[in-house]
Amino acid sequence: MIKKSLPERILRTLALLLFLLLAIGPLYWIFVTSIKGPKEIYTWPLRYWPENPTLESYRKLFSFSSFGRYFLNSITISLCASFAAMMVSVSSGFALSRYKVKKVKGRLLLSLYFTQTIPTFILMVPLFTTLSKMGLIDSLPMLGIVYVATVVAFSTIMAKSFFDRIPASLEEAAMIDGCSTMQSLFHVILPVTLPGMAAIFSFAFINIWNELFLAVMLLFSDEKMTVPVALNSFISKAGISWDVMSAGIIIALLPTMLVFGIGQKYIVAGLTEGSVKG
Amino acid sequence: MAKMNKVFMLGLIFCVAGFSLFAGGQQDAAGDGAVSLTFFETMTSPGRTATIQGIIDDYKAANPGAEINLISPPYEQADNKLTLMLTSNQDLDVVEVRDHTIKQFVNNGKLMDLSGYLKDWDEAGDLLPLANSAARTVDNTPYLIPQFFFVKALFVRTDILKQYGYDTMPATMEEMYEMAIAISGENAAQFGFGFRGKGSSFKISDVMILSDLDNIDPANVYKTSDGKFSFNNDVAREAVANYVDLFRNAVPSDGINWGFNEQVNAFISGTTPFLIQDPDTVALVNEQLGEENYTVIPIPVGKSGRSYLDYGFAGLGIPSYTKKADEAWDFISYMTGAEKNAEFCKAYGPLPIHGASYASDPYFSSGVYKAWETTMSDTDTYSFIKYPLDSPKYPGWAQVQEQYMQSLLIGEITVDEAIAKWSGYWEY
Amino acid sequence: MISERNTHRFMLVPAALLLILFIYLPVLKGATMAFQSYNMFDLSNLHFNGFENFINVITNPDIRFLQILGNTLVWVVGSLALQFLLGFLLAMLMKDPFKGRGLYSGLVFYAWALSGFAIGLTWAWLFNGQFGLVNDIFIRSGILKEPVGFLSSPRLAMISVIIANVWYGIPFFGIMLLAALQSVPGELYEAATIDGAGRFHQLFSVTIPYIRPTIISTTLLRTMWIINFPDIIYAMTNGGPVNRTNILATQMINKIFKEYDYGQGAAIGVIIMVLLFAYASFYLKMSSRKEGDV
Repeated sequence: MIKKSLPERILRTLALLLFLLLAIGPLYWIFVTSIKGPKEIYTWPLRYWPENPTLESYRKLFSFSSFGRYFLNSITISLCASFAAMMVSVSSGFALSRYKVKKVKGRLLLSLYFTQTIPTFILMVPLFTTLSKMGLIDSLPMLGIVYVATVVAFSTIMAKSFFDRIPASLEEAAMIDGCSTMQSLFHVILPVTLPGMAAIFSFAFINIWNELFLAVMLLFSDEKMTVPVALNSFISKAGISWDVMSAGIIIALLPTMLVFGIGQKYIVAGLTEGSVKG
Repeated sequence: MAKMNKVFMLGLIFCVAGFSLFAGGQQDAAGDGAVSLTFFETMTSPGRTATIQGIIDDYKAANPGAEINLISPPYEQADNKLTLMLTSNQDLDVVEVRDHTIKQFVNNGKLMDLSGYLKDWDEAGDLLPLANSAARTVDNTPYLIPQFFFVKALFVRTDILKQYGYDTMPATMEEMYEMAIAISGENAAQFGFGFRGKGSSFKISDVMILSDLDNIDPANVYKTSDGKFSFNNDVAREAVANYVDLFRNAVPSDGINWGFNEQVNAFISGTTPFLIQDPDTVALVNEQLGEENYTVIPIPVGKSGRSYLDYGFAGLGIPSYTKKADEAWDFISYMTGAEKNAEFCKAYGPLPIHGASYASDPYFSSGVYKAWETTMSDTDTYSFIKYPLDSPKYPGWAQVQEQYMQSLLIGEITVDEAIAKWSGYWEY
Repeated sequence: MISERNTHRFMLVPAALLLILFIYLPVLKGATMAFQSYNMFDLSNLHFNGFENFINVITNPDIRFLQILGNTLVWVVGSLALQFLLGFLLAMLMKDPFKGRGLYSGLVFYAWALSGFAIGLTWAWLFNGQFGLVNDIFIRSGILKEPVGFLSSPRLAMISVIIANVWYGIPFFGIMLLAALQSVPGELYEAATIDGAGRFHQLFSVTIPYIRPTIISTTLLRTMWIINFPDIIYAMTNGGPVNRTNILATQMINKIFKEYDYGQGAAIGVIIMVLLFAYASFYLKMSSRKEGDV
């Protein structure tokens, strides 16, 4: 590694600070907006800290409708669907990585990439009509399954790339010891890719937690609503209440921040993993 | 390895617990013999949903055993969701139908003709003529009972006008344009008019422009009485030019991107002392500005001496396939009856549908609502007109109108070119 | 005993089942709608109409398809290039450890966890022409004299929505590329240093070739995501002013949500898919010529 000179180090620190400022700025502004009263939001010149900070918008957020309930729904469906997506994609990613016939493997991979070209809106109407005919609409578990399907292609692509970096010799050794493919996956391979799985889980969680349109269309009952739907409900004919909306954005951000905060160490490690060894 | 197993076990346990929690919530609340209705509202907002829920609670108290499930999707997706639900015959008994969705629901055979019920309704006689006409928007058949009207009026910041020495209200569009332009530029942050640039902006611009004409067809605002396109004449051309002039001289350039929020914020902050809006804006302005700083007057008249106003509405209908039509009607007649309708409108803002509400409740004939009372009663000056709601072209109109209007405002095309484009769209 | 190949096939079943039932079949049905007169305004008239929807979408002068296509290209290329370059720069800056790097990355990458809808609203608020923070900062620093309507100016609107999208996308590239950079074996750099390679030379001769697979797969996926990501534009400008920020994806939403013309909406969806799939196949073929796989 080349030693860095002092001006270079200063430059680097400055650049890092600039990135930090640009990343934090908008969040800070949303937070400040959320603790300003409705009158103070629309005063010019702007105040960078409210004259009378108030938690009124948070109170409004939780008093309108059962926000706590939506929060619980979102947490449950996001955790479960992400967990399921992780399991499914570990299985398919591993199989795909170890698939021997090159041509088939290439096609399977292409079919996974193909799913990423599909706009959600083209799926929405057919999904709605089919599920409603089968009476499977307005059901959180069903929505969870749909969510797993929407993230499984990308998760598989990710999982495959993790397994690709793990030499097949590892499970071959285990199989010589008498393990089946499944056993060797479970006992030998997975423990090595735990960070990679955390990465898959986090990606899935963030996507599912933020999903709006499928939830709006496939759920009816108030007690089944998710957080993005509830946030969207604050946009009405009479526009947006910026104070309540900002409070909602802050609250909605907390779980993803948490998952991300815990997961990011593993995400980076997971993405790095393997290539060091392979 | 033990760690792995723990992770998986935890995950599994959580998910099984989670899903059984959901499954537990799915009981049908209605017991034996009780009526359970599903009510879909479309013009949702958190406050309005709370009001409706209150009325539902009153109804349940008056009708023991009745159960009403309210579905309140976010406003922006609600109409589409209702469309999909009706198309696939989902369990719905009472639906909120809007002026721009009624035609398609009727086309697709999804709404029940309410004539039979209406005939026997003791409150039917008290409905405003406007309410009767809204109910019969399609095929002259009552497919819905309206709940309220949105009628435009002019909000005026009296305090700001006073600063610049004005103490009279503009009576004509011309006067308002002049005042707005004169005020603009008095200081860097002062402009005249709370412009609407996007999001069905035609509902405001066309009210302002077409009031200069004296021969608009009340059944279709885009036609004159001789069957031609309303904009294809010199009077309209000049009116459009004046409107562009107003934009260039009395509105911040940002106005082209203004929707409801920006319009109202500009009014509240004092940037623009004139605002054309619906009565549901009153509560918001009261909360953020205070009643003492503004007033509302009827829309100023155009050169024709008249104003053409559209009336936005939404009403309650019954899906044609429901098996609980009688029960649904019972609830609709309760909710749209004079007492509950007035209560609903008072909390939500728009104008009630019964004559009695204006006569008995001073709320709707005093204060800022005086403006709307005048608008509704002075039929010589204020003519109610309709958009071509039953044309298959109407759903696409907003985007086409907006695109060419914006193009005109920023000077990309001329007035004549814009009118030619609009005319081409309607194929006159 | 089951053969290894059969086990592999068996392991693909859950994913395949999910994808077939909830993605492939619905998309097939959705694509069929593109060839039907599927307008919710009047469903009694539902019939196959060949390529009419496509012809209408492309040739209708009120829709300005070419401009939308051009906007889409600017939107995707501008967003992707800036997201990538800034993400790469950030990853390079963060590659070597420093005190508090864990906390730093949590703070600098959080935007990734927001929803597109929340980002759109946030930036619409920041770029607001009356009460926006961006205007305030520019005015206080003397760059501007009076507030500018970033989202209403035909010149600035596209740049503004791209800035929002770039802000959102930097963390994705930052994380992905940081991970890739950290996996570059130190020996490679040492060898390059011995060979007398300068810092810039190292970047192009060691770093980039080593992380090439990551660059290829992330840029490809991101391209697809950006094209299929109307949320930010929808919340900020909804395609305006004067069609300047209207892209295929927002036009599709307008067709479905505002006009209830599901047939034409689906036609736009099919156009998006065909364009993207052609692009992806080409991209993968080009890149796999050198590399074995993605």
